[in-house]
Amino acid sequence: MRARIRFIAPLVLALAVTTACGESGSSGTGGGEETDAAASGAACAPVEGEQLVVLEDDQGLQNADNIIPAVHAATAEAQPALLPALNAVSAALTTEELIGLNAAVDLERQSAEDVAAAWVEENGVTEGLEQGSGPIVVGAADFSENVILANIYAGVLNAAGFTATVTEAGSRNLYLEALKAGQQIQVVPEYLATVTEFIEADDANPVASGDVDETLAALEPLATAAGLAFGEPSEAADQNAFAVTQAFADELGVATLSELAEACGDGSLVLGGPPECPTRPFCQLGLEEAYGMEFESFRELDAGGPLTKAAIQQGEVSIGLVFSSDAALAQN
Amino acid sequence: MRPVVSAAAEAGGAVLAVDEAPNPWIDPSYVTENWDTILRYLGEHIRLTLGAVVLGALIALPLALLARRNRVVAGPVLAVSTIVYTIPSLAMFAFIFPFTGLSATTVLIGLVAYSLVILVRNFLTGLQGVPADVREAARGMGYGPVRLFWQIDLPLALPAFMTGLRIATVSTVALVTVGVLVGHGGLGQLIYGGFNANFYRAEIVTGSVGCVLLALLADVLLAGAERLVTPWARAVRP
Repeated sequence: MRARIRFIAPLVLALAVTTACGESGSSGTGGGEETDAAASGAACAPVEGEQLVVLEDDQGLQNADNIIPAVHAATAEAQPALLPALNAVSAALTTEELIGLNAAVDLERQSAEDVAAAWVEENGVTEGLEQGSGPIVVGAADFSENVILANIYAGVLNAAGFTATVTEAGSRNLYLEALKAGQQIQVVPEYLATVTEFIEADDANPVASGDVDETLAALEPLATAAGLAFGEPSEAADQNAFAVTQAFADELGVATLSELAEACGDGSLVLGGPPECPTRPFCQLGLEEAYGMEFESFRELDAGGPLTKAAIQQGEVSIGLVFSSDAALAQN
Repeated sequence: MRPVVSAAAEAGGAVLAVDEAPNPWIDPSYVTENWDTILRYLGEHIRLTLGAVVLGALIALPLALLARRNRVVAGPVLAVSTIVYTIPSLAMFAFIFPFTGLSATTVLIGLVAYSLVILVRNFLTGLQGVPADVREAARGMGYGPVRLFWQIDLPLALPAFMTGLRIATVSTVALVTVGVLVGHGGLGQLIYGGFNANFYRAEIVTGSVGCVLLALLADVLLAGAERLVTPWARAVRP
């Protein structure tokens, strides 16, 4: 009796495992068949590839999260050389360069300080700056891109005569309060739309948009009321973006989301993104409404993280939500 | 800026366009290259832990003495320290933040508050464990309150005190890492920084292993101190 039980238990287990595998496997092939079945126009099925490219958001679906220096207002007033120095960084920085900086730190594992110092040196942003003086503390939020930017700011400020240091400042809801007070930090690299919505604080009333100038106009009165001053936004942005493989883009000859919507009218696109994507205006909902895209299916992944990037590269999804300055977008 | 292409991409087999450096869990070169940074965080970690436990003990002892003397006080003191302990650390720092800002003090206050539940309870247990007849006898021999505490209460309650200090220290070493919220998380900065730098394993492991080693070392040191100050506990009993 005992022997029999011992024999049966593993058998049941094995059976359960194979059934489970069978199910997930069959659903996988089922998806594949569907895309194949639509072969008359299944041009938009995923295409494997290492290189990721972002398709231009030509309808301005995403909020303009351009890099922008946030400064304690009283300090900016007392130090007229401060904002011009930070604006020099905004003027010189592009999204491609930001991707390169992120790749150097996140992929090649160089230190953020070294990468920032090299960028400041190579880009000549320190030439002809108005000179100021006194200590300035640049706060860095707790992710690598912001640490790089804070170090770039500090490097430029040092060249402009200030004694700038970088300090870790944790998360936005706390460091922004400290920036308003201006005692512990005076400068933080911020993201235009995100910081605008954060200061505005009312989720039900969106004030930021995909338009940089409009968002900046909305930010200015809010900033003044909060005791903050903002420099000029950079062309460089870290915002939601939709990426495909280079191979996929080349095959269809698309560079913008509008072109993709036109090329993929048959609804054979497979979208990957965070679980809330299907109901969010910046994600599936927006793609459907603003661009008129139709999706064959949606895959629950993460918010621009390793799952999404791997799924695009491995040909599991045709298009996925990423961040526009992600190191994985670096071109070889 | 073109990123410098590293020659180490073949090891990982990752499918990324820029040559990705290998991302091993254990990387001695990370530790040697970032030694200064690691030491700085370690120093902050030790300072915060020491400060929190010492301050916590200084606050907990009078509270425990008060609670032993007066049963009416004991209930609320234990209840309040327990309730404080249940406040999530994220919320705790947000409460303290308006007063102390982005400073290590914010973290220190939170850590002291959390250490109290362990310290007050253990101190009180130790004091309650002092036999009433021994204290009675000492008082009969003319011991004043100060002498009574130093010569009767403290030696007899010391094992419980030390247990409390050891648990509080180990728990504080772990809790310091939550200070990343205000940029003062000691070795936690490495753990959190590693997560937010495309999952830099060497950095995460260095922070985590550092925390574990620090907790073990602190516990061993306190255990040694306990043996030193309680020589009678080692005496072989027939």
